[in-house]
Amino acid sequence: MRPVAVTGLGVVSPFGTGVKAYWNGLSAGVCAIRPATLVDTEGFRCRIAAEVPDGIGGSPRRSRADRLALAAAREALEDAGLSRDERVEAALVVGAVGGGMLEAEAWYWERFRGRRPASRLAPGATLPFAHVEALGNALGLEGPRETLVTACSSGAASLALAADLIADGVVSAALAGGVDALTRVCFMGFNALKLLSAEPCRPFDRDRRGMSIGEGAAFVVLEDLERARARDVRIYAALAGHGMTTDAYHVTSPHPEGEGMVRAMKAALARGRIAPAAVGYANAHGTATPQNDRIEARAIREVFGAERLLISSTKSMIGHTMAAAGALEAVATVLTLVHEVVPPTAGLDTPDPDVAFDCVPRVAREAAVEYAISNSFGFGGQNVTLLFGRA
Amino acid sequence: MARVVVTGVGVVTGAVTGGRERVRAFLLSGGGPALSVPGSALQGLVDETETRRLSRVCQLSVAAARIALADAGLGPGAGLGLVLGAEFGDVRSTREFVDGYLGRGPAGLSPLLFPNTVMNTMAAATAIAVTARELSLTLNAPTVAGELAIARAAAAVRSGRVAAVLAGGVDEIDPFLAELLAEAGAVRETRGEGAGFVVLESRDGAEARGARVFGEITGAAWRALRARPYGVGHDSGSRALAAALHEAGVAPNDLGRVWISASGDGPRDRWEQAILEKALQPARPPQTALVPRVGRHSGLGALAVAAAALDDAARPALVHAIARGGTHVALVVRGQGEPGSQRVSGHPQ
Repeated sequence: MRPVAVTGLGVVSPFGTGVKAYWNGLSAGVCAIRPATLVDTEGFRCRIAAEVPDGIGGSPRRSRADRLALAAAREALEDAGLSRDERVEAALVVGAVGGGMLEAEAWYWERFRGRRPASRLAPGATLPFAHVEALGNALGLEGPRETLVTACSSGAASLALAADLIADGVVSAALAGGVDALTRVCFMGFNALKLLSAEPCRPFDRDRRGMSIGEGAAFVVLEDLERARARDVRIYAALAGHGMTTDAYHVTSPHPEGEGMVRAMKAALARGRIAPAAVGYANAHGTATPQNDRIEARAIREVFGAERLLISSTKSMIGHTMAAAGALEAVATVLTLVHEVVPPTAGLDTPDPDVAFDCVPRVAREAAVEYAISNSFGFGGQNVTLLFGRA
Repeated sequence: MARVVVTGVGVVTGAVTGGRERVRAFLLSGGGPALSVPGSALQGLVDETETRRLSRVCQLSVAAARIALADAGLGPGAGLGLVLGAEFGDVRSTREFVDGYLGRGPAGLSPLLFPNTVMNTMAAATAIAVTARELSLTLNAPTVAGELAIARAAAAVRSGRVAAVLAGGVDEIDPFLAELLAEAGAVRETRGEGAGFVVLESRDGAEARGARVFGEITGAAWRALRARPYGVGHDSGSRALAAALHEAGVAPNDLGRVWISASGDGPRDRWEQAILEKALQPARPPQTALVPRVGRHSGLGALAVAAAALDDAARPALVHAIARGGTHVALVVRGQGEPGSQRVSGHPQ
């Protein structure tokens, strides 16, 4: 198996466009969760979300999600300095859930009310696979292409699959990440499940009331480590291992013992041949629902032991960005290693006594970490752990 | 690297529902198109609770997965992964969910329907039903989702990341979706519905448990050809075909048959022919398309791989599929010549 390096980063987040804006926001502990404007919140208990501010760019003929993805993907490719020829051979793996749903909803709403929609609906543009086609075509990526839907772990799983393609020698480089725009269906669905908090989410807080949703995109360029070195390009980190497991327990609830989460974390460590003690930070899935945070903390404790590990949830600042979450959090984890700063858990006032870890409340912490994990879990009991090491 | 063998197949389609023997009989029988899955096809394959709780597309997936595992003689338990391809997901539930809101406001939203709006709902239901606890992936692609899922699963077995995988896909015909596609001026092709899975295992693992191996995937690759989104391209130089044949150690002249993805979408079908001609020339192995008999859906990949494996040609077969947008997949499959097997053929093109 060939080792895999991270050589390019690109982000569009509720802090704006670009990796710099993202890291500035995270490291300052700024909460970007505000009253929602993209969807109608009338009649819902939760009326907030973390939306990407104006200035995404791109043609208005593209879906919002496509524009988010294109901006982040371009930044990652330029950061890695891949030539046109190198891009042609590169893989493209995108984690997605909503596709062009935001635009499809507007069309369907009009139609349902008996009005003639302002524009025609292109079914192909509404589905998750729309993004790989838009990115592949616009960026000249003609290697293996995949659209991965593993619910809220999609963004992380895309990095894992891309790493497999490199490790197996199928390609030397891959662009991988996740994207989701805010959609009515998502906002309404989590409201219906009563999982959304009326106030910005507070992961790992004793008084947490649920999650906040958001939107964004993040992409990374992964490369065969030896080739990256030969190109003399900046190596941010090594993607040292990953684990993907399934609970096979319940469609929306995680296994009560976090059994699948434990297996994912252990698989990532085993693949990287890294001892638990070498890991200093976990970017938690940390949705801020009472049940999920408690189960995740329990699973982390089973793998890494109590107390030693620093844990934070960057969802406290940018909300749960669905298919983008795993990729955005992977970038946050890589930047933690690079800057030697652990982003905080914003809004954490009173730590939950059931969470036996330092969850870095409110203020970022300087910490030189050798290895860090990023956890992502999704509906369907889909668990993904990514393990990153310092370059 | 492990050798990847096919030890089971399960399909639920309009024309055939069952494991390898039913598939073999279907391939030998000929017959016209049967595009919709009758309700009776699911009897005995999903229980009462599942009938009540699961959406129809999830039931199709669960049923096909159970048939495939039974065909493979593989019980539920540790070590099983799932890679499922789908083009549309659960459109019916998504529309019901949205209509609840549009009709009654927030009070009309069903928390039970919401998870079905996420395309991994079929994989989630199936993983629970058959206790697949290793990797579970849902791959979304037009036309080639099932073949792509099988190629990805074969790579996972080959590299030793998982011992056994259910690989295939599912789609259903939803009247609203059909109307939507027609309104949008979508291309005319023979669309069907159904689910299909093959069970892939390492040869060592399969032999150790005494499994009935009936095929081997000796090469698998997927790449993209340049094309506009959802469009047909002009480039016919296939790196996927070259990679799959190279991996299998097979020359075009060695191929006994090509199972193609022709579906009645004229421009796309012609593109596929150009790709095959360029990659295989001067060889012109006979071609077979299954779409005219069961329609295009994501369960078709498993049926094609099973057909290639059951074809008792002494020569390997190629399973090929290309989608609008440029994603294409090539699988080289070698039959194992099971006792009683005979040459099978689908609807010739």
